[in-house]
This record gives sequence, structure tokens and C-alpha cells, in this order.
Amino acid sequence: MRFILLAIFLVFAPATSSALNTGRIFVSNEKSHDIYVYDADFNLIKQIETSQRPRDMKLNAARTLLYVACGDDDIIDVIDVETLEIVDGIPTGPSPEVFEFSPDESQIYVSNEEDSMLEIIDLLARITVHDVPTGAEPEGVIAPAGSNKLYVTSEVADMVHVVDRDKGVVTNNIIVGTRPRRFVITPDTNELWVSAELSSEIYVIDRTSEEITEILEFLPPGFRPEDVTPVGMALTRDGGIGLISLGRANHVAIIDARSKELLSYVLVGRRAWSVALSRDEKIAVVANGLSDDITLIDMQTYRPIRSIPAGRVPHTVVIDD
Amino acid sequence: MKLFLTSVLAIALALANTAKADTLRIGLLRLEQDPRYDEDMAYARIQLRPLGDVSTAVQMAISDMKILTDARGLTTVLSQALADETDLTTVASELASAGVTHLIVDLPAAQVDAVATVLADTQVTVLNTTAPDDWLRSKCHANLLHTAASDRMIADTLVQHAVSQKWKNILVLRGKTERDGTRTDAFMEAAARFRLRIVADREFDLSTNPSMREQNNIALITGGSRDYDAIFMADEIGEFARYVPYQTALPRPVIGATGLVAAEWHWAFERYGAPQVNSRFEDQSKDARRMAWQDWSAWIATRAVLTAFAKARGDELADANALLRAAKLRLDGSKGAQMSFRPWSSQLRMPILLSTHNAIIAVAPLEGFLHQTSTLDALGYDEREFACD
Repeated sequence: MRFILLAIFLVFAPATSSALNTGRIFVSNEKSHDIYVYDADFNLIKQIETSQRPRDMKLNAARTLLYVACGDDDIIDVIDVETLEIVDGIPTGPSPEVFEFSPDESQIYVSNEEDSMLEIIDLLARITVHDVPTGAEPEGVIAPAGSNKLYVTSEVADMVHVVDRDKGVVTNNIIVGTRPRRFVITPDTNELWVSAELSSEIYVIDRTSEEITEILEFLPPGFRPEDVTPVGMALTRDGGIGLISLGRANHVAIIDARSKELLSYVLVGRRAWSVALSRDEKIAVVANGLSDDITLIDMQTYRPIRSIPAGRVPHTVVIDD
Repeated sequence: MKLFLTSVLAIALALANTAKADTLRIGLLRLEQDPRYDEDMAYARIQLRPLGDVSTAVQMAISDMKILTDARGLTTVLSQALADETDLTTVASELASAGVTHLIVDLPAAQVDAVATVLADTQVTVLNTTAPDDWLRSKCHANLLHTAASDRMIADTLVQHAVSQKWKNILVLRGKTERDGTRTDAFMEAAARFRLRIVADREFDLSTNPSMREQNNIALITGGSRDYDAIFMADEIGEFARYVPYQTALPRPVIGATGLVAAEWHWAFERYGAPQVNSRFEDQSKDARRMAWQDWSAWIATRAVLTAFAKARGDELADANALLRAAKLRLDGSKGAQMSFRPWSSQLRMPILLSTHNAIIAVAPLEGFLHQTSTLDALGYDEREFACD
């Protein structure tokens, strides 16, 4: 979802080549310290050994380079999408978890879980422009285009920090549910969604007023409210459909993103985590952190197609198509 | 008696709307010479006992929550006090007079009971962080909450694991202290619920007196009974327990006081943000020590209070106290579950870790152990089993 946003605002491509549309699927594995690469038919074609504890991943706008935050080595590895080799590394502060590019790709925003900072790094100069203090254990980061605002969650302080990214200062704090994790922004850029893992809620925040407008709750049949631990989210490009992974409830909720009405619960693997949509939006891929596999969801029928083994503790899925 | 104030100052962080400043006074009360932290015992109990006090954990919770309390315009002031057993209740009353509204106590059960009693008519809420005794819960002090897991919760955790491993026959070895008796009783009750068979219940002795060899020789005390699948040990001091594994008459696992231990926290826990909590604690403690269960209990007690103040609808003390005791507190203790206090026993419901000296083997409630309302209530006395004295 996020790389789609970036593609729209392609300003310049640092690499020479252009998008290859390889159709490859990348899955970062936190505990086996590698990335599994599958071809468009979901055959495993390579395991790329990365720095320690790879977590969040993003493609650049040109979709030639894959950036991987490696939490235990304090670096963002850069992988060439064509050769599948590590070609570069961007040093970060302690324990990078989630990151986001600025719309022009000149800067990278990294949440440093260990020292409670949002780090703003200049990608060309490779220097830290700002260290923004956040609540403990910052995680989700999102930087919408057409705005100088940046949002970051603090898992321990239960809040969303609104950051002025030019000045590098927090301008507002929005208190949300317990253990806020990740973000998506609706394509009309009006709504910011935040997943609160331990209060089993999705907070919908109006970006203009910075007020909470709606709180969404889910309960797949046969599960307890406390099993519902939402983290990963994805939206279709038209903003019509939303996917929300429900963690230990082992399901993905598919909703009408406008009316917020539930369309379906899809059974996936154990502790459903990151969700990604293929470009044609026919398939969604979910990483299952406790069963070490990924599940493919048919977006026409809202049914699981199959699950495929991944490495140990799969974290993030990125699709290059 | 020492009484000193630690005020936590604001770090530079721009806030769009700084509300009016309000002071939130938290107290921390400990014993000057707590026998439970006797350093002479520390070597034997090295896996279970921290060498250091819980004030690091309380301060860590205050700094963890600072951004959130700042957003509500609250300044947290921590008053720490150390007292002898004799002037403990006097010091507690002084803290109450000084305006403390929430008092974290790191005390044995009898002293917690005394402090809760003396503060009964004040506005103070007492949070018990290190006394696991179930009788203290049954006292039903209206002003007392418990973040230490109860003996029964610990026992249920061990029993769930025994049941899931099909260890149906258990040999019980207990020390002579009162706490060893309490731990053993709790285990027996939990074992009876799941129909584990206790093949023998034996008291060990720490001496080398040959006339007591049936009690102090490990091969003898673990032999001469019908076959068993595991040995449960209650040994508060830990000196006997640490020699038992690998010397038993039958080659069987040891649980309870050594080997596989159930506790609120362990430094080796790797999920749900626990590594970040552990490394923050190691950074903030003077001697870079590992976070022990006592530290976690004090940390979560402080976090519970600050969460209640930061998220309460209203600004009154009563609003925060109501949320503190409500199911919707949804407290995060980095154990992957939302936690709250049980209304019947004022006990924090929580997952319990089963660990060896360096690995987490399982997290209770284990899969398959269910409860009609919250699976966390499969650990400890449930509402229908619980009665106030």
C-alpha cells in the first residue's frame, strides 16, 4: 500500500534502472535473519542473508531497490531487486523497526525502538538531520505526500505523535488505545488509521482536526476479544476495501473502508501480522509470525488460497509487481 | 527511616496544548532490612532473586509514561521511603499525609496487610508488588491491589504445564519455612483440580546430619516411592533445590523452585516487546542488572496507576481510581495480553512465564486451558472459588 503511494509521487530515481515488475514477493524473517524471495507463482527462489533481525521493508519509488530495517545491527540494508544482492547499507540509531521515505525520497524516517527516537536521515548525505524524542518503543511511521506532517506511534505511551518533519519537532500527541502499532492513510488522505494491538481496536483519526472520529472493533467467530490483536493493515488504491490482520485471532478482517462495515473474516496462519496487496489487487499476502508461513488470500472470493512456508518469525511482506 | 523525594523533570518536547499542571504523587515503600533480599541468600537464589531494589523499575515506568502524563498536564512526583518493621505503618501514614495517593509497596504479606489496614481511612490506594500470598487477597482490603501473581496463579501455571506434558504423578519436596508450606498447599490444590496424583509429600532438611539422611540425602528423598513423572519443589531459600536436578533417584524433571520455574517475568522473554523493556531496565539500573519478576511487578504497578490517570475521562482522583479498577484499563505489560484487575480479589490478571534459567518454555494460560470469560482467569482463584475472610 505504501509503495503504491510512493510510486505516484515518483520524483527522481536514485538508481539507474527502472521498475522491473518482477512480480517477486519478499518476506523478511526476524529470527532467521534473511529474506525469502518468491517468484510470481510463489515458488521460493532465493533466501537473502541480511544483517541481524530484518523487519520492515520498503521499495524505492522506482522499485529497483528494497530497503530493509535490521533491528539488531542498527542498519537499513539495501537490496538490488534484480540481482537480489545487498548493495548498500544506511546506518541508523539503535534498533530500527519501521521506516518511511519522504515523498521525494531525499529523507528516510526511522523509528528507533531502543532509544525512543524518530530519526530523520538525509539519504544522500547519510547524516541524521533530526532526532525527535518520542514515547518509549516507537513503531509505526507514515509520511503522507503533500504535507509536512509525519506520524509515529509509541507502543508504550499509547499515543500517536504528530511531527513537523521540516522542523523535527512534535506538534501534537493523540492518545489512542493500548500498544498502537501501524498506520495506513486513506487515498483521499483525510483519514489516518492506527492499529491498537492490545486494546483490539483500529482508531480512525481525522487528519485535519487530529481528532479520533471512529474506533473499529473486530471479533471473528469462536475467538475471545483479548485474542484480537490487530497490527498490519492495507487499503486498496481506490480506498474501497481495507484489510486488517487480527494477530492471535488468526484471521484477517476485510472491511468496506468507507462505511467501515465488515465484509468477511478470512482464516490465515497463527498471529497474522503484515498484510500486502498485489498490484492488481487480486491477491493479498499475510505474514504469520507464530506459524512461520505466509497465507495468500483471494480478494474476489475472500477465501484463503494456500499457505507457504517462510523463515523464522516472518515480519513484513513486500510485492514487486 | 529515610524519606527522600525524587521529582521527575520534563524533557524538552514540544506539546501543542499544554494543559494546566497537576501533581500526581506516588510513593514507594520498602523494608530497610528485607529478609527476602538478604544478600547471603542471593547466591543460591541467583535465578529467582534480584540483587537490587525495585525503585529502578518504578522510575522506569514514570519515564516510560512521561509523554502520556505530560499530555494530560500531569507531573509525577515519586516519594521513596525505607522503614524498619517497627515504624513501617508510621511511615506509611506520613506518606499519606504528604499527599501520596498511590503507594507501591515491596513488602512481605504481613507488612502489606498492616500498611493497608493503617491506610484504610485515607485516600491512598496501596499496590502490592511482591507478596504472592493468597490469604492477603482474601483480606479484601478495599484500598489494596495486587500486581504480584498469587501463589495459586503460580501453582496453576505449573499444573497446566504438567497436565499438557502428561506428568500425572508428582513427587512433592518442600522446605520448612512458612512460605514453602504456602507454596506447597497452593500447588496441591491446583494439582487436585486437574487430578494429578501426589505420590509423596516430603519435607527436606538442609543439614548433613546422618540421622536425618532420609530428608537431606537427595537420592533417598527422591527414592523409595512409587514412580513419578516430575518433582515439584517449594524452596524459598533455594539452597536445597539447586542441588536436586541430575541427582534424583529416578531421572525426572524438577519444577517449581528450580529447573522449570513459573514467574511474572524473565529476562529471556523475547516476544511482545519484552526485549525492549529488558534493555531499558538494564540501561537504567545502576549495575546493569537483569529485570527480575519483582522489578516487573513494581513497573507494572506504576504503569497501571499512570495509565489510569492519563486515560481517565475526568481529572478527579476518583476518575483515575475508577479506571484503575475497571476491565477497560487494558494494561499492557509486554506479555502480549491486555490486563486488568479482577474485581473480586483485586488481583492483576496476567500471563505467567514458565522458564528455565535461560529460556522461556511456555507462557500460561497454555493452549487448551479455557475459561468462560477470560482465559487469563484460568490462573488463580476464579470468582466462584474466591471468598473474602
